[in-house]
Amino acid sequence: MRMKFNVRHPYTLLVLGLMCLCSGCVLGQQWSENYALQPGVTASDPTFIDGKPETVGQSQRKQSSGSALTDLNIPSEAIIHLPEKRSIYRIVIHSTNLEEFEVQAFDSLGEWQKIYDRRTNKDRVIDIRLNKVVTTTGIKLLVRRTTDDAARRRENLKLKRENVETSDGKRRRGRYLYHLTGPTTALAKISEIELYGYAN
Amino acid sequence: MKYKNRRPLTTTFWCLIPMLLVAALVFNGCTALEEARQRREKRLLEERNASSLMLKTPKAKIDPDNITEDALFGESDHYTIKFAEDLQQLPAFDEVDEREVFILSALGYMESLYDAMYELFGFHPEHQIHVTFHDRYRGSRLGAFTTTQYKRGVQDGRYTKSITGIKMDFPMQMYEKQGVRAHELTHAFTNIYYIPVWFSEGIAVLIQSEYVQGGLHRKFDSLKADVQIDINGENELENWVGHTENSPLTQWRYRYAYTLVAELWERYGNDFYIKVFELMEADGLHQQLESLMPTSILVYYFSKVAGEDLVPFFRKLHFIKVRRLTKEDIVKYVETLNAQIQRRRQ
Repeated sequence: MRMKFNVRHPYTLLVLGLMCLCSGCVLGQQWSENYALQPGVTASDPTFIDGKPETVGQSQRKQSSGSALTDLNIPSEAIIHLPEKRSIYRIVIHSTNLEEFEVQAFDSLGEWQKIYDRRTNKDRVIDIRLNKVVTTTGIKLLVRRTTDDAARRRENLKLKRENVETSDGKRRRGRYLYHLTGPTTALAKISEIELYGYAN
Repeated sequence: MKYKNRRPLTTTFWCLIPMLLVAALVFNGCTALEEARQRREKRLLEERNASSLMLKTPKAKIDPDNITEDALFGESDHYTIKFAEDLQQLPAFDEVDEREVFILSALGYMESLYDAMYELFGFHPEHQIHVTFHDRYRGSRLGAFTTTQYKRGVQDGRYTKSITGIKMDFPMQMYEKQGVRAHELTHAFTNIYYIPVWFSEGIAVLIQSEYVQGGLHRKFDSLKADVQIDINGENELENWVGHTENSPLTQWRYRYAYTLVAELWERYGNDFYIKVFELMEADGLHQQLESLMPTSILVYYFSKVAGEDLVPFFRKLHFIKVRRLTKEDIVKYVETLNAQIQRRRQ
């Protein structure tokens, strides 16, 4: 038997198709609750997980070596630990100065693995949709650059002339040297880090 | 006929036995594998949790109504926060909104850290901690200070000391360091027992380094080889009465105090100092001392918890004032001290 497919209303079909696509998208993106707000979650700064956008925490510098020069390029970090493994598809970071960063996940070998990186950012709310699901108990944000770095560098790195005292008690003008009085990068200001999977 | 029917049954039986055995082995193997996996995951989580200090949201309620309108002062259950004048001049803190956000966030962080310390030590100071943020404190951006204020007096015919307040001063550059926050809060917790300076700094660096992983001082390789003694032959740690300057000797004292405190901690277990403080609390003698606790009394408590006499250990490290004491000696010392103070007051 030959089937006849009479397309009388192509627009109806188009609308139906679009509706299907739309509902598929909507159904497919029913986000779970924010895992970072669940009981038992810990963070390197509790303001990341307090659910209050008005509080702002900071990333932390890693343990220092004791030498300001050695520590110059060590990135700061913001960490969230979950009490149990969760499948994460979406990470939302609320930050006013985050510019370049990397996101890492704690893997089953006990290592931090890179799952995302961004070289430039101007958004205050950074909504990251991961290409593939990450099942993990921890998320780390590695801060490579902030918009406040330049100001911090100006504050803590100063070019000063190093005058020398001569044997006859006079001062001779010396060469210019950089003086480092503190870190040359700023910490990231983060008000919330949200972690989502798909709702069951 | 009967015999013929029984044969396939026997064959089936003998076929089933190995199959059941294999199934049991596989099942058992799976259980063992599952248990191993769970153990590994637990170990990984323990390692993960030990790598840096992680905090929960605070138990205390941070109420924006407890911040003044000009946002120069804020308060929570365990803290008050204010800004020194030099900080108010800086662009980052010269507006009310900026200060308000900072106070709310700092109260949240410090309350969480307070909860973590309380969980660690099992005790907490009774008084609120008054925190002041500075750009520079005592002319420097590199020194944070915790001061435990106390009053002396006679109560029920006995001389006692009691704490009247705890004060913390942070230059902003130091407050940025998580390790420094924990170091200062350790002082606020442990100084209620009037412990000697070397022990106070040693345990604060221990918490900063081992618990928060934010240490600035490295341990020495050897307590014996790296000891420094003064002209009287006394360990430079024993005569440490406080510091304001950042000299090489001060740096050595921090490192040596940390090495010494960590040595006992490694030797006698993670709860060694918790038990020491519990004993002090039970005796209540620290409140009856005129000033800070002498090292001999501290070593008495260490020895009690360790279950062995630690006087020879300290003497080998040139703590020349350390004497072997009994509880009776300490009580007698406190009684004599009490009588002397009473006489002086009369």
